[in-house]
Order: sequence, then C-alpha cells, then structure tokens
Amino acid sequence: MNNTANGRPQAIWVFGDYRNYFQNRVTLQLLAKARELAAALNSEVSALVFGHKVDEYVKEYIAHGADRVYVVDHVSLKYYLTETYTRLLEHLATEHKPEIILVGATNFGREMAARAASRLGTGLTADCVGLTIDEKGRFIQTAPSFGGNLLAEILMPEHRPQMATVRPGAFAELPHDNERRGEIVRLNLPPDLPPERVRLLKSRRLPHREQRLEKASVVVCGGRGMGSKKKFKNLLELCRLLEGELGATRPVVYAGWAGEPSLVGQAGKQIKPQILFSFGISGAIQHTAGINAQFIVAVNKNPQALMMKMADVGIVADANQACLALIRELRERLRE
Amino acid sequence: MELNPCMKHQLVRKTVREFAEDVLRPIAAEIDHDARFPWEVVEKMRALNYFGLQAPPEYGGAGLDTISYAIVIEEVCRVSAGVGLCLAVHNSVALHPVLTFGNQEQKERWAPALATGERIGAFCLTEANAGSDAGAVETQAVREGAEYVINGTKIFVSNGGVCGLALIFAKTDPEDPRRGASVLAVEKERPGFMVGEIEDLSGMRCNPVSSLFLEDCRVPEENLLGRLGDGLKIGLATLDTGRLGIAAQALGIAQGAFEAALKYAKERQQFGKPISSFQTIQNYLADMATDIDAARALLYRACALKDAGQAFSTQASMAKLFCSKTAREVTNLALQIHGGCGYSKEYEVERYFREAKATEIYEGTSEVQRMVIARGILSRPG
Amino acid sequence: MNIVIFLKQVPMVTDLPWDPKTGQMRREAAEGMMDPACKHALEAALCLKDEHGGRITVITMGPPAAEEVLREALALGADLGVLVSDPRLAGADTPATSYTLSLAVRAVCPEFDLLMLGCHSVDSETGQVGPHLAEELNLPGPAYVESVQLVDHAIRVERVCDNFLETLEIDLPALVTVTTQSYQPRPVPLGGVERAFSQGEVITLNATDLRADLKRVGFSGSAGRILRVYAPRAEQKGVLLKGAPKKCVQELLSRYGDRLGALMGKDLGEAK
Repeated sequence: MNNTANGRPQAIWVFGDYRNYFQNRVTLQLLAKARELAAALNSEVSALVFGHKVDEYVKEYIAHGADRVYVVDHVSLKYYLTETYTRLLEHLATEHKPEIILVGATNFGREMAARAASRLGTGLTADCVGLTIDEKGRFIQTAPSFGGNLLAEILMPEHRPQMATVRPGAFAELPHDNERRGEIVRLNLPPDLPPERVRLLKSRRLPHREQRLEKASVVVCGGRGMGSKKKFKNLLELCRLLEGELGATRPVVYAGWAGEPSLVGQAGKQIKPQILFSFGISGAIQHTAGINAQFIVAVNKNPQALMMKMADVGIVADANQACLALIRELRERLRE
Repeated sequence: MELNPCMKHQLVRKTVREFAEDVLRPIAAEIDHDARFPWEVVEKMRALNYFGLQAPPEYGGAGLDTISYAIVIEEVCRVSAGVGLCLAVHNSVALHPVLTFGNQEQKERWAPALATGERIGAFCLTEANAGSDAGAVETQAVREGAEYVINGTKIFVSNGGVCGLALIFAKTDPEDPRRGASVLAVEKERPGFMVGEIEDLSGMRCNPVSSLFLEDCRVPEENLLGRLGDGLKIGLATLDTGRLGIAAQALGIAQGAFEAALKYAKERQQFGKPISSFQTIQNYLADMATDIDAARALLYRACALKDAGQAFSTQASMAKLFCSKTAREVTNLALQIHGGCGYSKEYEVERYFREAKATEIYEGTSEVQRMVIARGILSRPG
Repeated sequence: MNIVIFLKQVPMVTDLPWDPKTGQMRREAAEGMMDPACKHALEAALCLKDEHGGRITVITMGPPAAEEVLREALALGADLGVLVSDPRLAGADTPATSYTLSLAVRAVCPEFDLLMLGCHSVDSETGQVGPHLAEELNLPGPAYVESVQLVDHAIRVERVCDNFLETLEIDLPALVTVTTQSYQPRPVPLGGVERAFSQGEVITLNATDLRADLKRVGFSGSAGRILRVYAPRAEQKGVLLKGAPKKCVQELLSRYGDRLGALMGKDLGEAK
C-alpha cells in the first residue's frame, strides 16, 4: 500500500504511550515537538490513546499540546497489547490519513510502530534525536547509528504517513496549560479485530533498584587505565561521595575487577546520567554506544583517547591518581 | 598461492583473536610477572580444541590445516607468548610426533588425551652438555626384559612443569652415531620421573620451563616411538614442524609489539604533533610493517608446502630464522618508539621485547637454522 | 523443532574509520563480525536445540563476505546457512530488508517453528526488522526477549518491556527478538570452524531465486532517503586540564563545581 502525498498537509499524530507516566515523559515531549512541526506545516496535532479508563491521559495530552485526541477505551485494552494496538493504529491511520506519526522509542513503541509501518506499507525512522521541517517544507528526521557516533538526516519523499520513533529525552515538553482546549473523538473497537496471539501470563514492575545504573544521574565508569583490581576499588569511594553508580568497560569485567551488572555499553547497560566521570577509558565504541550523558569528565593519560574527545572536561593524568585526588578534594569540601 | 586469506583463515583468526583479547589480555601482564601458569584459561582452551589443532576429529582434534595452525599460534602469542609457547610445543613437538610416528595402539593410547589437553605434552632433547650438538646427549635408555630403563637429566623443557606426557630423546646404542638414539614416551606417573625446578626466565615466564630428572625410570617397550634407532629421524622431522610453530610465535610477538607502537605513535604528542608524523618514526613503522609482512609470507609458504606433502625443511628453517629476527628487531623498535614509557612495566611492549629474544634461541638457534638452510641449498643439484 | 535465525554482519570497529573530509564512515575499511545481539539470539537457539533437538537454519542478507557469519554459526552448531546476496537488494531500509528475508525463509524453511533475531544491531540500531518480519509473515513477534522456553507447541518467554518484566506465552509458529542481557554466547570451537568449511552447507540465493518483487527490495524499494550523514563528535569539544592530578582536580572543581553541583542536585562545597 503506497500512499502518496496529496497537496494539503494532514495532521501530525502522536501515539500516547502513557505507561510509567511519571518517569516516561516521551509523549509529552513529542506533543511539544509536534506543535512545532504543525506550526511550520500549517497543520494540527492529534494524540492517540488506547486503553481502559484513560481519561486523565486524554486531558493531559490536550493540556500539553494536542488539538485532538482519538480515544479507544475498552476493557480488553487494559494492558498494552502489541498486535491489537498495531491494528488500531492502522485502522485509524487508514481512515484519517495523517501526514506524520510520531511514536516514543520505548520498547513497546519501537515494536508496535514497526509492525504498524509494515501494515501501512510505509517507512519508519528509528530512535530520532532531531525532527525539523526544512526550507522546502520537507520533514527531516535525524537518526543516530553506531551508538550515536554517526547521525543521518533522512526524509521520505513519497511514502505516507511518514513514521518515526523518537528517543525519550530528545525534546523538551511544553508546560501544562489548563486553558488549552481540544477535541476528544471517542471510537469503538473495530469489529474485525483479530484476537491477540500473545498471552500475558505475568507482568511485574521492575523494582527501582534493578535499574540503578540505567537511571542514575551520576555515573562513575572505570576502565583498564585504573591499573589494577585494587586501584579500581577506589572508584567505589568516589561513587559514595558523589552518590553515583559504578560502571565498567568489558575488559575490566572480564578481568574480574567489576561485576557483569556494571558493564556499560552495547552488550551491557545503557546509561543516561547528568554527569559521567570516566576514569582510564579509551572510548571504544562498544562502550561509548551505551552512553548518553549531559556532561562528561574524563581522565586519561592519553589526551587523544576518544573518551577525552567526547568529554566536556578532560584531565590528562593517571586515572587512579586523579581518582584519589578527587576523593581527597571532595572529602574536604563536603566536610567529611 | 592465494593472494588474500581465504574465509576460513579469516574466521580462524577472528575467533582466536576474540578469545585471546577476552580471556588472555586481562591477565597477560600478571601471569608473566608472577610466572603463573593460567590453568583457568587452559581449561577453556581445552574445550575449544586448542590442544588438538591439527589432530584428526576422531581423537578430539580440530583437524585444521597448517596455515590455520600458524594463525592460532600467532594470535595467541600476540597477546601472551608464554601461553602460545605451551600450545606450539604441545601441538607440534609432542602431539604431532605421536600422530606421525606412533603405531595404531600408541595413537589410541595417547592421542585422545593429548588432543583434548587432558595431558599436556613436552619434547625433551636439550641437556646440560647437549644444546645445538644433539649428538652429545647423555640420557640413556637401556632395555631390560620388556621394559626400558631411562637415566638422565633434560633441561629447558617447555611445559616441563605441567606436562603429562614427555617424549624423551635418549641414547639406546651409544656406539652407533647414526641410529644410536631413540624416542621414548614417558607418562608423568611413571616412577623415576621427576620435574625439577622451574626456570626463572627473562620472558614467557608463565610457561613452566623446567628440568626433568629420569632416575631408573621404567617404561614398557610399547612406549618406544617408531623403531629403535629412529631418534634422529623423529627428532629432525619433529623440529621441522616445531619451527613452524616458533616462527608463528615470533610473528605474533612482532605483530603485538607493532600494533602497540603504532597506537602509541598516533597518540603521543611532542613538539605539538603526534610522533607518527615525524619521518624517523615513519621509517621505523615502515620497516616494521614490511618485515612482518615478509615474515608472514615466508611462514605461510612453508606451511603450504607441508600441507601439499612437499619437502619443507629448508623453508621452515628460513621462516623460523627470519620470523625470530623480525621479532627481535620489531620489538626493539617498538620499545624505542615508546621512549621512556617503553622501559616501564606499565606498558606491555617491554614484555614483547623480552619474549622476542627467546625465539632466536630455542628449537634450534638461528645459527643452527643457517646450518640447515645452507645444507639444503648446497645439497641441491646443479 | 525448526528454528531459523537471521544474522547480520556488521563492521568490526572500535574506532570508526572516518573520512574527515566528507564526514562519512568508511565501511569498506572495516572487517566484519557477527552482530553481538545476533550472537545472543544464536546462543538462545543453540540452548533450545541442546535441550529439545531440532534443526537450526541461519540466514543473512549481505554481500558475499557475509557468508563468514553463516560459517561461524555452523561452527557453533547451526545446520544450514543461507546467504541472500544480490546487488539489487543493497541499500534496503528495514521494511525492504524484512520483505526480502520473509521470501528467503519461505523459500528454504517454510515449515519453521520459531524465528529468532537479535533485538537490534550495533550499526543501524533500529530494532525494526524483527517486528516488520513478524508482520510480513503474520506472526506474533515479541521483541526484547530475555529467555525462551519450549512448552508443548508454544513458547514461554520473559522479556523486559519498559520497566515491566513480562512473562508471555505464544503458540508456535512465532518470532522473537533477543537482547544481550542473557544467554552468554558460547565461544567458537576451532574444530567447529574446520567442519563449517569442510562439511558445512551454505546455499546462496539472489533476488531472482527469491522471485522478489523488485519494486519492494533494495534502495529503490525503500521509503527513506538519506540527505546527509555526519559525525557529531569528530571534533574535540571540551577543555583539557593538564598537570599534577591534585591541581587538575582543584581546577575542575573551581571552574565547574557549580555546574556539576547543579546537574547532580548536590552542593559540592567550597574550596578550602
């Protein structure tokens, strides 16, 4: 099914991913970005909410930028169901023909958006970190690859709707605006929905502590440059002083200086701290692919190491000595 | 000869490199410093056929060709030459002679244990008075009924401290200069077999190189490898294959040192520039790269000749001679490029430097290699 | 049990070989390796085969050099390798790739029970091929699975989905994508490498063999067009502090202490 663009710009849709509402702000972020895109395209923003007893989210989305919300509220939709939601999205998109559909790149969103794109016969750009309308009125999606070491600007000349999943945190949400008004369109379940083939036996929210490293706002990572297992342990004291979590590179985990749960990188945990302190790490892609930090302080003997290039502040020094110096300095300042 | 490595050789290289980087690299400096034989790594290697690289699958081996064998040894030595030495010696001068010269019963008795690494092998030739002069060996094996009684001391036995099966080169007829020596296999459980002190060597220190004492050590006549008097023949053939392994070792050491030097030269800045931009350093790197490439070509050609069933003795000696010389020269330049840092144990290059030197000495010194090559050249017709 | 795994060969890079003038990645300068998530999917399949028996077919789409990942899979215990290779298939986006792979699996193993992929590859990192393929073949296809168990003619999987640990049950045939969080990939035995080349079976299929609709494959079958590609981190963006560690640390805290404190939500105190 190859849709071609007609002359008139259609709406920009945002999928309402409301699970984990307080931690997961991606829908609100997408609504803000959609408003911006809609302004450039002289179009409007619609949100989609599928679930059961979801009115609070409907109101939130209007307050955060939606002009319209399509709601399918049914007891059978109480839990997120990939194939069912895919069919609902396909059904609505086929009927209303949006120009653009944005989905937050959560685990659920990525899987569902991919299935929906297949059903709609259109393309899908993954995990975008930038979305703009260029001077020719084209929708440009910026997507990362190689752990963010490479960015590509992509456009979709013909296929409609243009679909993208967007990295949470890439955009900022608009403030909640109680004065905003929007249209609520309530829809029934389509009659031809096939039964869900995946049986959910158990679902349990992961306790906070099991995702410590992924959620930490301060991470202290150590690599082989720390020198030895004994010296590596000094990083634990630094973690304690900074109230941060410990991360490690693969060689260090293999050498037994740190455990597997501390592994940061492609084969390990993805971290997105406010601050990353990186000690004695060269910056191999397998490691840096797991890092999305606001501010990086790196310590390495080699000023040309990739990690030093990525850092906001690079300290050219022996990693262990710098770690010990930082511990001493912090202890004094924090009056220990 | 193929211009580019075939896909199998590429996959062998990647497989071993990944294993060596994951498992050996984190401990390479420590096991050298502490002279510790890494049993935990050996256990992993056993399960992956590292101890039976060319042995047939029916004995538990991998059945690889000789170039693949050379690649495995090179890639292990690129990270830890001491562990690579263990594999090279075990595969080429212990397991290989058993498979080549053993009868069916002997192969069934020893090959499975060797190919799976259940027993680590060693070849014992050198003695206090017999280094390059193999004919001066004094260890004797005397026939008594259905047994041989062996007396003597072997020194500088690689894998000596951990070997489960030792091939002993002994005099069985002191009067016969050509057929007076034989090879006897001795399991370590035999009474009268004792491992001496581990040598305190400059390099490859994680390999337990030791003396072996044989005091009235009795083995059944079924432990005679080949026929009585085959010692020289087995020894020479074994050393030909052994030289390929040592050449691969030297190549790996050179490659490891070269990569370290290249990385350092690109990162180290002096006078506002990376030192890799200076002509002197570039000349060094160019020479190193060229010699390594030439050494690799020589080695693989000798391996290909062996697999083709052609005479390869001269080429094996050329490969061992050139690869070991290259290792010494490349590691020297690599250390020089590192400057003061190169002299410190915090960097790995000084370890490569120490390891390289041994490759010009054991399994036939470079002087002996030249003898072999000269003999090969001079014996050609015309 | 008939399992089909889709493998991807990705560039083996610790440092991306960059062309600083064009900002382009020089892919041809890098050797290839099996994508790490694919290794985990393959390991999951091998564990199922160890326990329940069956047959593993591995499929990859790529240039002729991609055959190497098939041989590696054979060395680990897969039974048949399939290389889908044709210049007309190059430049495919995820839907075009999935369409092509769906034709391949229909051609070589139509009676499959379970399809497995890595959750995403380290180069393009879309994680989309699995779900697209599930739609192409009309299968349930949970992604980001951490364990797979066979229960009669169904599978029970555990997966982490956005902070929820879910246990799902799906009747076969089905598709799953596997994360790198569990299933430690077993190392490749050297005897396996030898067998993979001397006895292993690899068949090659091109677009004609697949009877592919050429409008749906490759670059011409792809919806997206790349305008430009660039490296955001090619330049040194930060500040370098040099000197004695103590001095550097003091400079770090005096110049950036307030900023660091604000980001952390913590007062880093005053210099003494």
